[in-house]
Amino acid sequence: MVIKESKLGETVLEARSITKRFPGVVANDKIDFEIKAGEIHAILGENGAGKTTLMKILFGEYQPDEGEIYIAGKPVKFRSCLDAIDLGIGMVHQHRKLVPAHSVIENIILGHPRAGKILNMNRAEDEIIELCNKYGFSIDLKAKVWQLSEGEKQVVEILKALYRGAEVLILDEPTSALAPTETEKLLDSIQAMAKDDLAIVPFITHKLPIVLKISDRVTVLRRGKVVSTIDTENATERSLAIEMVGREVIFRIEKTKVEKGKTILEVEDLSAISDKGLLALNGVSFSIREGEIFGIAGIAGNGQQELVEVLAGLRDAEGGKVLLDGKNITHSSSLDRWQSGIGYIPSDRIHVGSISDFSLVENTTMNYYFDDDYYRQGALDYSKIRKLTEDIIAEYGVSTPGPDTTAKSLSGGNLQKLILARVLSRNPRLVIAHLPTQGLDIGATEFVRNKLIEAKKEKAGILLISEDLDEVLSLSDWVAPIYEGKFMEIIPGDDCTRENVGAMCAGIYLDEDQP
Amino acid sequence: MRIGSYQLKIEKRFSLTSWQAASISIVAVIVALILFSFIFIFAGINPLVAYREIFSYSFANPFGLPLTINRFIFLLLVTFAFIIPYRAGLWNIGMTGQLYAGALSAYAVLYVLGIKATTEMHLSPAIIIPLMLIASSLGGAFLGSIAGFLKGRFNVNEIVVTMMLNFITFWLVSFMIKEGGVFMNPGGRGESFELPPSLHAPLILNIPFTIFIALGAAVLLYYMFAKTKIGYQIRAYGENPAAASYAGISKIKIPLLVFIMGGILAGLSGYHYFAAVPGVYKIARNYGFFGDLAFYGIICGLISQGNPIAAIPVALLFGGLSVGGRFVQGKLGMSFGVDYALLGVLMITLVAFQFFYRYKIVWVKISKESLDVGIPH
Repeated sequence: MVIKESKLGETVLEARSITKRFPGVVANDKIDFEIKAGEIHAILGENGAGKTTLMKILFGEYQPDEGEIYIAGKPVKFRSCLDAIDLGIGMVHQHRKLVPAHSVIENIILGHPRAGKILNMNRAEDEIIELCNKYGFSIDLKAKVWQLSEGEKQVVEILKALYRGAEVLILDEPTSALAPTETEKLLDSIQAMAKDDLAIVPFITHKLPIVLKISDRVTVLRRGKVVSTIDTENATERSLAIEMVGREVIFRIEKTKVEKGKTILEVEDLSAISDKGLLALNGVSFSIREGEIFGIAGIAGNGQQELVEVLAGLRDAEGGKVLLDGKNITHSSSLDRWQSGIGYIPSDRIHVGSISDFSLVENTTMNYYFDDDYYRQGALDYSKIRKLTEDIIAEYGVSTPGPDTTAKSLSGGNLQKLILARVLSRNPRLVIAHLPTQGLDIGATEFVRNKLIEAKKEKAGILLISEDLDEVLSLSDWVAPIYEGKFMEIIPGDDCTRENVGAMCAGIYLDEDQP
Repeated sequence: MRIGSYQLKIEKRFSLTSWQAASISIVAVIVALILFSFIFIFAGINPLVAYREIFSYSFANPFGLPLTINRFIFLLLVTFAFIIPYRAGLWNIGMTGQLYAGALSAYAVLYVLGIKATTEMHLSPAIIIPLMLIASSLGGAFLGSIAGFLKGRFNVNEIVVTMMLNFITFWLVSFMIKEGGVFMNPGGRGESFELPPSLHAPLILNIPFTIFIALGAAVLLYYMFAKTKIGYQIRAYGENPAAASYAGISKIKIPLLVFIMGGILAGLSGYHYFAAVPGVYKIARNYGFFGDLAFYGIICGLISQGNPIAAIPVALLFGGLSVGGRFVQGKLGMSFGVDYALLGVLMITLVAFQFFYRYKIVWVKISKESLDVGIPH
């Protein structure tokens, strides 16, 4: 393998003047990029800046329209990922590509050239355990992948790439689905890999603190072009943010005070069973008034999904009551809830919040097909819905060729804007926003948060469920850390600190908060 | 493949207009006919002669054309019975059973009115014929609703249920019309009693009036999918059930509804063949043949991509070729099965050509540099 021979600090992988066009967009525009041995090189950019396209080109999934790739100084052409893998490039995708029913070790050896001939599980196991020890991964090789947490699945993907002989490891948004402790562990392992073994790690993210903490160099992309490549020690969170979005971004939103009105939502002792048959939501009670944001902080998998689904009418409550404007809606259908003024923004915007192959007009219709104002002579008034969609595109700045393009052509941020706009345009009494800014870049995040604040000013009640502590703390009038299906406490927004809420999300009370 | 400085390349399509889809299908039909001409050549027959015979018999012959049209009406109705659930992402494999149920229900009306025993009628045909139509719709709808209900309520696979119901209704028909069955023909020829002439479905220009039901359904369904609330709900459920539930669309109601609608149209196709086609007017001994023919509804539905208007020419082509293929087999003295073989080749080619719905083949100019690869300087 060519890369193995390179010395610390030498350029091992280089892309020169890479251009990749898709119908209507130039995803990568003359990108120059290089990785040195032993380096952690972060690639930073907003959604749609061309990060993923560049990574896919480096991994051989896409072929560039123009430009060349060099490995250890020699020009190479990847016909497919296999070529890239053979030359020592490994990729860990943002969306997992594992076989859930198989064990960890089976997933790791799947596709390995040696696995096709004679399966020597014991030898493979020894080798993988050696890899684990070297980089500080701890994982049960016999466990089935479906039993693992997101962080553990990521470890499996990394091990799979390393076991296949990867020397350049591409990680796409590696920390997006991880709990804070898992993130820490992963970062340690990444550093171990970079230091010990010349493993080289381009690190794609839009989490600025992580970039600053771990990377040696950072390349900032904007609209398919390289804005700059600098040594991380010369960068600050603020300077990178400005380069990434091209303008100043307000990090903290001043909490808007709105006069509180009547109680909109009352939840009493609500519990629910998860898909796996466990009591995932275990007796929560709270209420939300007009003009109030109620924030639920917590790590994914502590009952948030079940709570949201019960409130949206997509899951049966096991016990307890839900009252909307004093009316018991515990057992009403999700359509009834839409019509009585609940607007729900789901966390999975691709598979739940939108229909990929439908046009934007048809996606807007998802929240309007039941609305009598959008009927004409027994049929849906598509021209009126089209007008509404055009208004949404204009007002929210959804970047798209037009209302007839399909939803799958939108980037994550634009899709979220469309969903948000569609829901908020109904002027809902209660907005349920589940992970509304997950995976979005800074510009889109700021936009979404401001829109939620606008809705709050217009007397809507807002239930915000987020894993981003800063988001919950900066927006909410009430903060409820959730842990194992229960609220640890309900704290007024002004009284909580990052530390005590963070500790409660992890299931512990700091001493002074002990009730 | 490389010619000069050009190279053939397969590219993914990002969009497909309905005209592109239509022209791809037309090319596919031509390719299928060319492929099938080898069968004629091996049998020592000039394919041009054979095709002239097929098309002139099925589309221009006073005996062949009515057969073609009757098959066309039948195929169109069963195609719709497939298309409606298909747009909801569900597979109706049970048109066969549903059409049997429709036919049995239509004859049940006559039996209840005592028309089997005597040709004396207390009600006018203007009442009885609509009753038969309603009964056949309800019969088909009932059978469809079983699959739809089980799918919606308990998530039971609809393919398995509709398939099993096909077998059950096949033998139910046999039980009803053969030895000792309540619908048995008094002559006991293994078929049902015949319709009295006054109850033969009205003919317009020698074509059963059911053609208006079929063509009307095409327009209505097209409008329903394109414009109405229920059409939107069906399509949304078909594209993404999770997103449909999120939007408040009932995952119990939609499967039930599409299978009821499909069942109605399949039931009417049963009425069409066993009570409206001249020369039949009974549940014939070979009713299994029409049950098998109903499976072509799946093919027609897939080729027309679930578009009810596009289904019209497709069903007409399949109807015509099935009639013409059988004709040339006899006329040119070929061995048994030419019509099935012809439909089979057509079907495989059309399905294979669906590749071009998703990909296109383009010539690309190779840039100078990459041509130079490997040439030492």
